[in-house]
Amino acid sequence: MVKRYAATCTHVGNQNIMAEGFKTADPLEYHKSFLKENCRPDGRELDEFRTTTLNIGPISTAEGSALVKIGNTTVMCGIKAELAVPPSDTPDKGYIVPNVDMPPLCASKVRSGPPEEQAQAASQFIADIIETSEIIRKEDLCIEKEKLCWVLYCDIMCLDYDGNLLDTCIVALLAALKNTQLPKVTINKETDLPEVDLLKKCSISVNRHPVGSSFAVFDNTITIVDPTADEESLATAVMTLVIDEEGRLCSLHKPGGTALSGEKLQDCMGRAVTRHREISKLVDKILESIKK
Amino acid sequence: MPVDRRRIRGPDESQSPYHFISKESQKCLASGDRRSDDSQRGPLDIRPIFARCGLNSQAKGSAYIEAGNTKIICSVYGPRETERKDETDMKSGRLVADMRFAPFACHKRGAWVQGNEEKDLSLGLLESLRPGVCLHKYPRSQIDVCVMVLESDGPALSHAVTCASLALADAGIEMYDMVLGCTVRHTGTTQLLDPTFSEVQDDQDGVFVENQGSVTLSLMPNMNQVSGLQSDGVMEQESLKAAVQACIEGCYKLYPVIQHTLLKTVRKNAPPSEN
Amino acid sequence: MSPMKLCVPGERLCSTEDCIPGTGTYLRHGYIFASLAGYVLRKNEGEELPVMSVVKETETQLLPDVGAIVTCKVTSINPRFAKVHILYVGSTPLKDRFRGTIRKEDVRATEKDKVETYKSFRPGDIVLAKVISLGDVQSNYLLTTAENELGVVVAHSEAGAQMVPVSWCEMQCPRTHAKEFRKVARVQPEYLQA
Repeated sequence: MVKRYAATCTHVGNQNIMAEGFKTADPLEYHKSFLKENCRPDGRELDEFRTTTLNIGPISTAEGSALVKIGNTTVMCGIKAELAVPPSDTPDKGYIVPNVDMPPLCASKVRSGPPEEQAQAASQFIADIIETSEIIRKEDLCIEKEKLCWVLYCDIMCLDYDGNLLDTCIVALLAALKNTQLPKVTINKETDLPEVDLLKKCSISVNRHPVGSSFAVFDNTITIVDPTADEESLATAVMTLVIDEEGRLCSLHKPGGTALSGEKLQDCMGRAVTRHREISKLVDKILESIKK
Repeated sequence: MPVDRRRIRGPDESQSPYHFISKESQKCLASGDRRSDDSQRGPLDIRPIFARCGLNSQAKGSAYIEAGNTKIICSVYGPRETERKDETDMKSGRLVADMRFAPFACHKRGAWVQGNEEKDLSLGLLESLRPGVCLHKYPRSQIDVCVMVLESDGPALSHAVTCASLALADAGIEMYDMVLGCTVRHTGTTQLLDPTFSEVQDDQDGVFVENQGSVTLSLMPNMNQVSGLQSDGVMEQESLKAAVQACIEGCYKLYPVIQHTLLKTVRKNAPPSEN
Repeated sequence: MSPMKLCVPGERLCSTEDCIPGTGTYLRHGYIFASLAGYVLRKNEGEELPVMSVVKETETQLLPDVGAIVTCKVTSINPRFAKVHILYVGSTPLKDRFRGTIRKEDVRATEKDKVETYKSFRPGDIVLAKVISLGDVQSNYLLTTAENELGVVVAHSEAGAQMVPVSWCEMQCPRTHAKEFRKVARVQPEYLQA
């Protein structure tokens, strides 16, 4: 087997090289040979997302939770609510604290320790989306001005990393927030302490519905949607567009890489709008099914 | 205090709403999961287990276990080069276990940073698994076992041991035997196998109760050997003996499920018609 | 044929009086036990007793062993040795990369003192090699290419094109026709038409 591999490798022309051997020996050429034919190693079209599946509310210890899979990439978001004093500069608002974690179990390259760069960048990206798109009105989290408010800890954990972390995180966050139920809280006038009634729970209103679409760029010419981990590492640039339900752009994240023409960007916008429709449909369908 | 700049921080202080539960709703929380309500399960029955292998695409092997509301996922990486040169052992491999709870896994939110409890559990997990793995087959390399408790309702360690040994077998790491875990909660004269979260709560707050404790045991079922034993609380000698016996029986009840899961995985990965 | 028997680690397969333990098994108290989850195989290999082994769907070789042929990628070179990443053991891809070293004296079998590592390998080359030792605590796996069938199998020229071997120590770029030195692996002709 080995010798045959050797023989075919040294043989002129590379059509005969075993796909697996080719992939490890020269991954970039391997991917490009597919892209030239307008397809990808996993059989997808260039503008095709991997199958997206969603499980809402799997964790009963969390106030809200969701498990999202895009292809192999799996992310779980759990929302825990705690009580705190509102920030002094905005006494009528609560807190939303999002964190993305990539524990060592999600990929071979991740070692235990503090969050690595990618997780930190993702946390900040999610925090920016929450801030700018106002998914939740922070005023809604205030229970009593200057005294008590909710803190929503949105802990997003990657369980399997195979590319496109950001899109998966945004869907998980959105679905978990839609699933979140907060108990009724009143402040006891005599003791000045909060009283929590677990029997009366109400959902929080999700104000806007941002959905992300990630793209990978190869040599400024080919853009592919929903890159896998391999594709991400070989691409010359990656980009994430976040769109809300009215087609407005909430955020555009393109950390460096090769340039991208305005025309290409327009195409990506178009794809992102369709992706939004697909995801909202999926979220609504799953929410409907768990109500029954 | 040093500030963690790698994470998004919330307010300096926040409290769990469960501290302020009014009396009536507390009852509802406590009675929700009493075994007496659960007509299906006797005191010495384990919860029905759901187990699966090979869910993680990146890992060499992986497993997921669900027992009641307890949900645990485990990935195995390696054998791979040891991270640090001075830890390289030429004669045998190194087994490394890392067990942690997701921040949303318990009623009270947990921290991102691994706490002392998680470190103790990781060590317990490692010591229970190590006798089962043929480490001499993997010289100068390291095998990483990463366990994440997604939801904790009852004994996390015992299920983590079972889940991890499934993941090791899925990874094709050679083992002398599977390792199964089971926990018994002992209160007064009653024994509860595979207790839920509410069952391990002390009934009276802060009041010392005689003869109350938990025993967690890891068993290699074919060799009939115990690879790990941990006992907390205060128990009479006789009760402890009985608890250990109950755990062993619990493990044997678990074994067919685990065996079935593994065989199903083997069959799925390579249909028997192949050769 | 009867359906193939499956087993999980720890299962007792048979006594040593009936079989010889093969891969995926271990011996204890005169019995053969399974150490893997997989199919039980009983094979006659000309010995007195059949060999009992357990096989998984994928090859179980997870670590480079002494004597194994490995495929590796050259990562760096200095006058004394070349550093490589081991990608394959036999035809099994490794999920995690292991590092190996090809020392100057292990590059070829003859005229060892005249070997120059720079004229044998370049970073990025794909090399077939054999494991000669697991190394010690400080060093990596030690590999050798001192056989005709071992050495560089894929290399790119300075112009970036994949080169064609022209002799046992030279390869040629199809674009610029420039020749570069390498320790080329001889390809066995009977495999060429594959």
